[in-house]
Amino acid sequence: MTDPAAAPPVLALRGLRKQFGQKVAVDSLSLDVPAGSMLGLLGPNGAGKTTTLAMATGLLRPDAGTAWVLGADVWQNPAEAKARMGVLPDGIRMLDRLTGAELLRYTGLLRGMAEADVVSRTGDLLEALGLADARDTLVVDYSAGMRKKIGLACALIHAPRLLILDEPLEAVDPVSGETIRQILRSFVNGGGTVVLSSHVMELVESMCDRVAIVAEGRLLAHGPLDDVRAGLSLQQRFLTLVGAHDLGTETLAWLRSS
Amino acid sequence: MVALLVSLRWRQLRHQLSRNPWMIVTLIITGMIALGLLAGLTAGLVALRFAAPQGAVTAIVLTGSVIVLGWWIGSILVSADDSLAPERFALLPVTAPALLPGFVVAGATTIGGIGTTVALLLMLLGWSVSLPALLTALIMIPVAVVTCVLGARVVSGLLAGWLARRSTRDLVLTLGVLLAASSGLILNLGIGALTKVGDVGEAFTTVADIAAWTPFGAVFGVSASAAQGDLLTSALRLLIALATVVILWVASQRLLATRLVSPIQSSGGGRVRSGRLLDRMLPATSSGAIAARSLRYFRRDPRQLVNIVMLLLLPAIFIGIALMNGLQEESIGFGPAITLIPAINALLAGTIVQMAIAYDNDAVAMHILTGVSGAADRAGRLLGFGLIAVPVTIVLCVATCLLAGRPDLLPGSLGAALGLTAIAAGAGAWVGSFLPGRAPAPEANPFGRGSSGGVQSLLAMIIIGPITLALGAPALGFAIAAIWNPVLGAVSLACGIAFGGLALWGGTVLGGKILDRRWPEVLADVSSES
Repeated sequence: MTDPAAAPPVLALRGLRKQFGQKVAVDSLSLDVPAGSMLGLLGPNGAGKTTTLAMATGLLRPDAGTAWVLGADVWQNPAEAKARMGVLPDGIRMLDRLTGAELLRYTGLLRGMAEADVVSRTGDLLEALGLADARDTLVVDYSAGMRKKIGLACALIHAPRLLILDEPLEAVDPVSGETIRQILRSFVNGGGTVVLSSHVMELVESMCDRVAIVAEGRLLAHGPLDDVRAGLSLQQRFLTLVGAHDLGTETLAWLRSS
Repeated sequence: MVALLVSLRWRQLRHQLSRNPWMIVTLIITGMIALGLLAGLTAGLVALRFAAPQGAVTAIVLTGSVIVLGWWIGSILVSADDSLAPERFALLPVTAPALLPGFVVAGATTIGGIGTTVALLLMLLGWSVSLPALLTALIMIPVAVVTCVLGARVVSGLLAGWLARRSTRDLVLTLGVLLAASSGLILNLGIGALTKVGDVGEAFTTVADIAAWTPFGAVFGVSASAAQGDLLTSALRLLIALATVVILWVASQRLLATRLVSPIQSSGGGRVRSGRLLDRMLPATSSGAIAARSLRYFRRDPRQLVNIVMLLLLPAIFIGIALMNGLQEESIGFGPAITLIPAINALLAGTIVQMAIAYDNDAVAMHILTGVSGAADRAGRLLGFGLIAVPVTIVLCVATCLLAGRPDLLPGSLGAALGLTAIAAGAGAWVGSFLPGRAPAPEANPFGRGSSGGVQSLLAMIIIGPITLALGAPALGFAIAAIWNPVLGAVSLACGIAFGGLALWGGTVLGGKILDRRWPEVLADVSSES
């Protein structure tokens, strides 16, 4: 890996470590994401994906290590680093007693954008994500999929260089899912960089050009999609790396109805 | 099934405690308050037992009825035991008759249930005036506890469907707080009425006699008439008490059966008016946006709506009490001191601003992700609060000065109220950046535990209080002096504005610096489950 100061990758994680009590959630994890790539972050439940992303976005202070966004240290120079990334966190409440339109306006103004830009982009985003009808409904009354979409709109409104998305397509219907895929593809084509975590191999295989696989807080594999796959399907490769848990024929035998 | 449900409840409590040390402290403080109440009850009963044995019986019937009613009415206010909500059992192959005994025992073995049982046992001291009373009271203890628990279940069960709509929830919440806050006033009226009755003891005996025939007092009425040797009355009252239990049992079983097959789902309120005027009025900056959002939340978040209603209500209650006492003494005028009452809002201002982040809960992550500066956060929240608090304070000050018939005291009244409120708000902005307190989660019942912010908020109050008094002393002092020399009111106003401005500026800058450094820790603080 290169020195982050010399030729900055868009996102550089260096020796990130986090321990909760006795459990090491993330263990000296380092990762570079080059510009213009879309990286799929894979890992079984509890692998430390969300913890890693929280430390990369400034929500959780790492015990050791740090993260750089376009050369700005998230923990030393948070204002600069945060200005360049848009984040869709997972499992965190939104300010849900605002309407969709109010939430977008709020996000834009907190980002320090000019009011005219905020207003026009709010309309564009609501239209593109199919939320125009729900613009005056409180986010608390949105469905899970609609919340994902408004969260994505909040991450996009300031036109960041880097998008960090935790489970972006979870609970989203296939039609909106296709919309989101299109948005992300054109974002990358326009020079943007995306890091997304997912459990859906199909999504990662069809969208991402790079893959990182973590388990038990460690990086097991990382690189271009085809290198990581090494001729297998991503599903097979993932199971080989993480350690498949093959059920014998007699396990849960009592489940058989006949 | 009974043992399973009870152990489930206690295991949940244990897990909560082991995860969160603040919860242990809260529990200990609650326990000490309960012990204090029980000690007071014991002392009162022992004193009455020997001084006026007949009075002891009356006192027990009244206290007991209040406890039962407290359970019934309290169940509307305190979130009805979410850990054992019927909805959680909807997917399991269990029936209402099988679950209900477990729910009742689990309800009786909560901290409140155990406290009630101890109180009932202590009442035996008072019943020891006669052997039949003592024996019946001992037998009636389980009946009384079951009446409490079942009644609470029925009341909350009946209202649950209605409370699931957000608009009604907000309405009930606001009315409940209004009522609770005015209870001092009502109590004052009641005491005023009692003093007119003359024979207080006689009045209490009459009320106790009536209560002893009601569903909530009959359990105690049984022993009361046994003490007087009136066995026929005793039997009739026993009939009422038992019928109450049976009816409550059947009713709660029916309610439970219904909830198991048609779980209640909270529903929302649809579209809202967006108040674009607010956005136009406030600057399109991060602070302006936070101020506008604070104002929207004051209206749309029932937990915060209560705070804002209290801002008007708390001084109104004090003014009401002052007026009534003034009327009773038939003194001339209401005393110029009431022009200082609006300053009491400083108490609320400190806590409201200090707990602002706790109300957001983990949604405050938005502020961290967008990289908004701590100072902008503090300034925005203070501005939003100020846009409500300043007009309210001015209205209250003008009203009290007119009531007192001393318009010349307005500057002093404004100086004390605005000054102390601003200083407390500024101090709250600073303290809230390292002791944000803890609020019930946004989707939880707003009446639930911890709505006052728990121990962290108590600590914060201990810090905010002295700061407010120290910095506010000149404004308050000159406002008091202005009662005799109205010219000094202008000095008070100047002091209030100067020191208030200083505190607001200090709170913004110092609190903002702490937030910039500690955002992740603050997020962890307010989002940890209590």
